[in-house]
Amino acid sequence: MTSGRPDRRIWRDIRADADDEISYHLEMRERDLIARGLSPAEARAEARRRFGSIEHIAREVRSIDDHAARRRRRTGMWTDFRQDVTYAWRGLRRAPAFTAVAVLTLALGIGANTAIFSVLNIALLRPLPYADGDRLVFVWNEHGGGAEPLGPGRMLDLRRQSTSFSGFAGISHISYTLTGSGDPERIPASSVSSSFFDVLGARPLLGEPFHTDAADPSAAVLSYALWKRRFGGDPSIVGRTIVLNNRPRTVVAVMRPDFFWPTIGARAGATPGPQLWVPPGAGDIPRNAVDEDRDMTANRNAGYLRAVARLKPGLTAAQANAELAAVGARISAEHPEDGDRAANLRPIREQFFGPVERPLFVLVGVVTLVLAIACANVAGLLLGRGAARRRDLALRRALGATRARLVRQLLTEATVLSFAGALAGLLLAWWASATLAAMAPSDFIGDQTLPIDIRVLAFALGASTLCGLAFGAVPALQLSRQALSSALGEGSVRSSGSRRAGRTRDVLVAVEIAVAVVLLVGSVLFVRSFLHLTRVDLGLDPRNLLTFDVNLTGDRAANQARQVQFYEALQARLARVPGVRAVGAAVTLPIGGDDFGTSYVPEGIAPPRAGSEPSAGYQVVTPGYFAAIGMPLKAGRDVRLTDTRDSEPVVLINERLARDAWPGQEAVGKRLRFSSDREWARVIGVVGDIRHLGPSTEPRPEIYQPDSQRSFPFMAFVVRTETDPMAIAPSIRRAVAELDPSLPLGGLRTMEQHLERSLSKPRFFSTLVTAFGGLAVTLALIGIYAMMAWSVSERRQEFAIRLALGARGSAVIGMVLRQALMLAAAGVAVGLGAAWIASGVIAGMLYGIRPTDPSAFALTAVGVAAVALVACYVPARRALRVDPVSLLR
Amino acid sequence: MSERQTTVDLLQGTLATLILKSLSWGPLHGYGIARWIEQVTEDELLVEEGSLYPALHRLQARALVSSQWTISETNRRVRCYTLTEQGRQQLRAELSRWERFSVAVTRALQARRPSKAL
Repeated sequence: MTSGRPDRRIWRDIRADADDEISYHLEMRERDLIARGLSPAEARAEARRRFGSIEHIAREVRSIDDHAARRRRRTGMWTDFRQDVTYAWRGLRRAPAFTAVAVLTLALGIGANTAIFSVLNIALLRPLPYADGDRLVFVWNEHGGGAEPLGPGRMLDLRRQSTSFSGFAGISHISYTLTGSGDPERIPASSVSSSFFDVLGARPLLGEPFHTDAADPSAAVLSYALWKRRFGGDPSIVGRTIVLNNRPRTVVAVMRPDFFWPTIGARAGATPGPQLWVPPGAGDIPRNAVDEDRDMTANRNAGYLRAVARLKPGLTAAQANAELAAVGARISAEHPEDGDRAANLRPIREQFFGPVERPLFVLVGVVTLVLAIACANVAGLLLGRGAARRRDLALRRALGATRARLVRQLLTEATVLSFAGALAGLLLAWWASATLAAMAPSDFIGDQTLPIDIRVLAFALGASTLCGLAFGAVPALQLSRQALSSALGEGSVRSSGSRRAGRTRDVLVAVEIAVAVVLLVGSVLFVRSFLHLTRVDLGLDPRNLLTFDVNLTGDRAANQARQVQFYEALQARLARVPGVRAVGAAVTLPIGGDDFGTSYVPEGIAPPRAGSEPSAGYQVVTPGYFAAIGMPLKAGRDVRLTDTRDSEPVVLINERLARDAWPGQEAVGKRLRFSSDREWARVIGVVGDIRHLGPSTEPRPEIYQPDSQRSFPFMAFVVRTETDPMAIAPSIRRAVAELDPSLPLGGLRTMEQHLERSLSKPRFFSTLVTAFGGLAVTLALIGIYAMMAWSVSERRQEFAIRLALGARGSAVIGMVLRQALMLAAAGVAVGLGAAWIASGVIAGMLYGIRPTDPSAFALTAVGVAAVALVACYVPARRALRVDPVSLLR
Repeated sequence: MSERQTTVDLLQGTLATLILKSLSWGPLHGYGIARWIEQVTEDELLVEEGSLYPALHRLQARALVSSQWTISETNRRVRCYTLTEQGRQQLRAELSRWERFSVAVTRALQARRPSKAL
């Protein structure tokens, strides 16, 4: 109905038509007038007079026709489109099995992409919940290639002297014991510069937070989560007094639910952060966690401050970084005690989400490949379906539909299919996002949810449209070409078109095999890397080990003697609990706990330049800690209660430090000092190495000091039990409460649970990559099987002839398998090459296995080829089972 | 000005009806329509011949008539107009409207002096 319409003319035709029509009229009139006796000249003049303005009328006619033609074109296209959609819809409903398989395949592909995009969206695209959030940067010291927090004096100097920032606020992580309403509870919190909320440009839900140089020292700002959980969302909370570390504070504001503020660490990450903010101490310096009332203004050694700053308008982060580095170098030159520290900044998204960029990139790559396989499958399905529809298309072609029109119709069909897939995919993504958010490690995206917002919707729609075009284009072009060439009456399936479809099908199969190989190699690498991680010897024995944190406040924290006294009493009390074998405590829990560092000078070695001394991990331990956690004492003795402030300072070191400082010598009896101290400490023992920073990081040098010589108001206890540690947990709670009912017991869990957290990220990624890899391989297998089955079924007549001519069934199957093997070999070869090239991307994400591990590649190649052969063998066998005579007839 | 406008509108509307009527016996080209009008109205209705064409093309845009190019005996391209089914309905509606209108006007113009009772 749409082709060959005589009225659809381009503009020039319309003009010529109008002219022809008018001149014919004039000619006829002239002829009649001449017949009535007028001279030709008179007739001509009279005809024109009667007609009126030729020019004017021609123009009017043209404009009427133009207008009508335009309107017709518009409605024509819309009608065509509606017709195509209806036609496609009807066609899909007539083939429910085909539609279900195609929609499900696309839903898996688009759903996986949308879910991963929703993670990408929150980390990299969605606006941050602060005013102009991307102008915020974090300021760090750079020392020995790593980022370090700032000392108070240095932070003040940097803030005063740098000119790149319109605001600069220090942050100290500190935790507070909240008492009064309900059980005493340890709350992660921050003491921040008075300008903190102004720098962020964050607005509260209730009340008003403190402002630059206008902060009531007893104020407190609550997070939405804390307000909801602990105060039941009390709308009259502002102005109420709460007790933090035994001291009254007034709630001045509650932040909004979307105010997301993670823990700010030297290692970037979005670990859920403070739930409570309090103003700074003396000199606008955020309070120190060790002693919140200490005046830190003159201190340059205690590096505990993180800093957030806002770039001045017009400045780039790079410009500000250059200026900051220069200022940092100048300050270091003026203050030798700052050492050779440099200053640099880190943009906010890098600080919050930095390490997720590469994993996300890998995940996006993986799900894109999944989608590619899904598209290839659907293209194959459409191609197979199209083969059956060739006559239908040829008929339409013969009835006058143009090739472009047929292509458009086939593309519309593909797009309708992919929209249906996108809708189903969005449902899947909605479910998957919730699962992802729940499954994601805490430092990945923090406690944020993954909303399906307008960007995610736009992505899903865009992806599905692209898919529709991608998997629709191949069959559309091919089928419309066939429709052109194949005669209507042709009944045979083996036309030239079928051969071309066969070639396209072979390419699709090879591509699917190649993509499956890439994903499978990745999955194997990630799984093996993860297994390596779980088998690493950490240097401690995590079985039957219970751990919890103790934070002292008030009188007990008043001085170090009181602290030590309490730890001693608690350890003695816990040791008497039935089922407990050993008890000890350390200031930081290894592997995923806090991390204290120090630099040291071994005696007898010429000290290097100030600021470039070797560095080591720093721990404070109670007697019995090593035995309790299962670290072997390799030489010397453990710390004792008799190592007091009045006796000689002593330390234990690990084997790594002993090797570094005194290679080939007996370390016990030697002395070292902390580079910030004058006093020498005697090495009394050497313990085994421990992977304090996590399973994937080699053991570093460690120094252990007895708590009786230096203590902190917080400790992590480890309790070695006879049997299941969680069974003992209630008795442990009772024992602690007996000693002090107001002491909150934080983070009570088994060591295995604690270690699990350090493995959560690799587990998350290996799980995702493997899940998506498995999905991709399954989809590819289904696709290969379907295409092979179709290919074999088209050749059944040929097989029948071969069998009739005396070929053995096994020979025919062998022929099919040989051809399949060629395809599989081509696909595997391309896939291995691509995987080899792509392996560089994941190099840094693997542990204990090279990204080009030959066994992973070989395993995958053999596996995929074998499975592809099975996918061919089954349909070939089936084809042979049919009675040849029925096919030859 | 406005009075002239109503005259033109009236003429155009009438012209359209005349065109539809002229096509009711079969396809005609533009000149044929002009000649028919000339003959049946015996030149009573003096129409500027050119104004026939915008009227025809407007009818075509409204799908009341359709057109085909044909070749004349003098071997020229000639556009022939045919009444569509829609055009036929429109003509019927116009005719009945005209009938009622002329009956009413005729009755009014032939009325006698009103009785006193009125």
